Amino acid sequence: MTGDETRILGFTLGMAALAMVAILPPGLALAWLLARRSFPGKAVIETLVALPLVMPPVATGLFLLRMFGRRSALGRFVHDRLDLDVIFTWRGVLLAMAVMSLPLFVRSARVAFEEVPLRLEQIARTLGAGPAKTFVTITLPLAARGLTAGLLLAFARALGEFGATIVVAGNIPGRTQTLALAIYQLIQLGRDDAALRFCLAAAVLAFVALFISERLLRRRST
Amino acid sequence: MKRILLPLFLLGLGFTLLAPSAVAVELNVSAAASLTDAIQDIAHDYEATSTDKILLNLAASSLLSRQIEEGAPADLFLSADEEKMDSLQKQRLILVDTRQSVLGNTLVIVVPIESRLKISGPADLESPLIRAIALAEPQTVPAGIYAKEYLKKFGMWSKVIDRVVPTENVRTALSAVESGNVDLGIVYKTDAEISKNVRVAYSVPLDVGPKISYPFAVVAASKHLAEARKFFAYLTSKPALDVFRRYGFLVLTGSGATP
Amino acid sequence: MKLALRGLRLPLPRFMLEADVELQGRVAGLFGPSGAGKTSLLELIAGLRRPTAGTIRLEDRTLADVAARRFVPPERRRIGYVPQDGALFPHFSVRKNLLYGVKNGGGAERLAEIAAVLEIEPLLDRGIAGLSGGERQRVALGRALLASPALLLLDEPFAGVDHPLRGRILPVLARIRDELRVPMLYVSHEPEEILALCDEALRLDQGRIVAHGAPAEILAEPPVSP
Repeated sequence: MTGDETRILGFTLGMAALAMVAILPPGLALAWLLARRSFPGKAVIETLVALPLVMPPVATGLFLLRMFGRRSALGRFVHDRLDLDVIFTWRGVLLAMAVMSLPLFVRSARVAFEEVPLRLEQIARTLGAGPAKTFVTITLPLAARGLTAGLLLAFARALGEFGATIVVAGNIPGRTQTLALAIYQLIQLGRDDAALRFCLAAAVLAFVALFISERLLRRRST
Repeated sequence: MKRILLPLFLLGLGFTLLAPSAVAVELNVSAAASLTDAIQDIAHDYEATSTDKILLNLAASSLLSRQIEEGAPADLFLSADEEKMDSLQKQRLILVDTRQSVLGNTLVIVVPIESRLKISGPADLESPLIRAIALAEPQTVPAGIYAKEYLKKFGMWSKVIDRVVPTENVRTALSAVESGNVDLGIVYKTDAEISKNVRVAYSVPLDVGPKISYPFAVVAASKHLAEARKFFAYLTSKPALDVFRRYGFLVLTGSGATP
Repeated sequence: MKLALRGLRLPLPRFMLEADVELQGRVAGLFGPSGAGKTSLLELIAGLRRPTAGTIRLEDRTLADVAARRFVPPERRRIGYVPQDGALFPHFSVRKNLLYGVKNGGGAERLAEIAAVLEIEPLLDRGIAGLSGGERQRVALGRALLASPALLLLDEPFAGVDHPLRGRILPVLARIRDELRVPMLYVSHEPEEILALCDEALRLDQGRIVAHGAPAEILAEPPVSP
């Protein structure tokens, strides 16, 4: 691999990892709410969270572009007040990866939480643990395997994110170009050998993440 | 999990932060994907003579114009499509005085390298030997629109429409020909030149083919108008135009326009 | 103990659970056919479910008062609950299970004392995976006791334990009653256990308390429903 190729790989891995850090807190909160609470509008929230999973990624990208473009109120606020640009920057890559991988994490995390016996949480409460302590000492460790598997799944999804990224972050070599964008561009340019090298790297990364994820899930169910 | 993620995170962050930061200005140049090879060379040459850094955003003209409409921070727009530029101009999103149709292209009919097909004009496309014809999507993608326009002009469109395989973009049409999955394709001359696995069976003469031009302009919302104009001037200077020419483009403007 | 349930109501799928009763004894027995609502009643008292009407008072504390919108969460009720399956924390050792409800370190002495009463000292450093049914129940009992409960709810804790073993556990419960002086509400199917352990008894049927009095009287009455 050339230096540029290694750099793209590192950038993609770093962004995907950062996206995981970003989706962890809201993902855990959402998954827990969906698993353990019933509230008005739950079905709507459920559907909204799953939406990026089934929508064309480009459509999600367009939505994010409108939301964060300088022509929208939010985009102007972020740009003028916080002096940040999302569009055409690594933040756009992060945003696209996070939004596109959140549903996968929430779905797996929700199942992981649902599989923790409610009885154990209740017993912890009767032993004097408040909701927060119960969550940290009982729910989280017992769900850890499923949560990790879900996070790896989301990580693999983030690594391969294309449609939303190219719309929100652009395809800017050296700045926002991820593995998936680079593969697309190389195919466009007819450089199949370099494209195949990247495809191989992407396949290996995704394989490792999915393999570990599957193993974690399998061991939990036995 | 943490033990894996943290180093990866630092690695990615490091790459982000270590990216050149001592430069004066970064120009975001949104360029049509078909310009990729040429514009990368030109940006590279330009950076050797300037303190400004060129960030290329390479995608379909339709997506690039859409991003500019939504206020994406682009400084220059190099379009493969006059219509997209017209639409931005109507919305006052580009500096009209900078707009220039800098490059031209021509259509060619390509066949797989091993194919024996002989094409001497559009009428030959009716041959029963030709079962599938790859074109870029003829409603939205410029290359496809041009191809359709050309075939219509010769009354061939309605005769071959059943054999047309629309593809996402012109390079995909080229790949379809390269792989032998279609009998021929209609693509830009510049695309045909990069492929070793296709043969140009017929070049559409300049005077009968559709007028294909690449308009360039500075984006009105650019925060670096002076630098953007400077790079724009370089794009239309001889060294840059020579690079475009080397990649098979026709030069329509500036010093040394192709006759 | 003084546990007062007044006008307590909780809708269940097949009937309305209703309780209006005051318990005074050291150990009260709760007797009734399965599906009578015994577990739901314990969950109401522990604070794991919210009643739709009524009050729950333990000694001089109001734990729930629907009319006054008062509801003390389970972690502040000091009511221990030992369910049928023990519900041990699978990711902790026996010792960590026992110490879960002990505040701020401490408890080493009490741990030794209670482990001795329950005869589980040899198990302390084991994981819970290899424990027998009887061992699990005693660990669950110890875990609840170490949290210093003001009331202990035992939901057929020895239903899954072989008969010979049950004979050995009854004296343990008697020691908890007499030596540790922890009031208990004890759910059981076994009349002899109720007779041996309890000062008073309730019979629950279809969500209603159909009898309340001395254990011998309650057990002598024929069931209301088949």
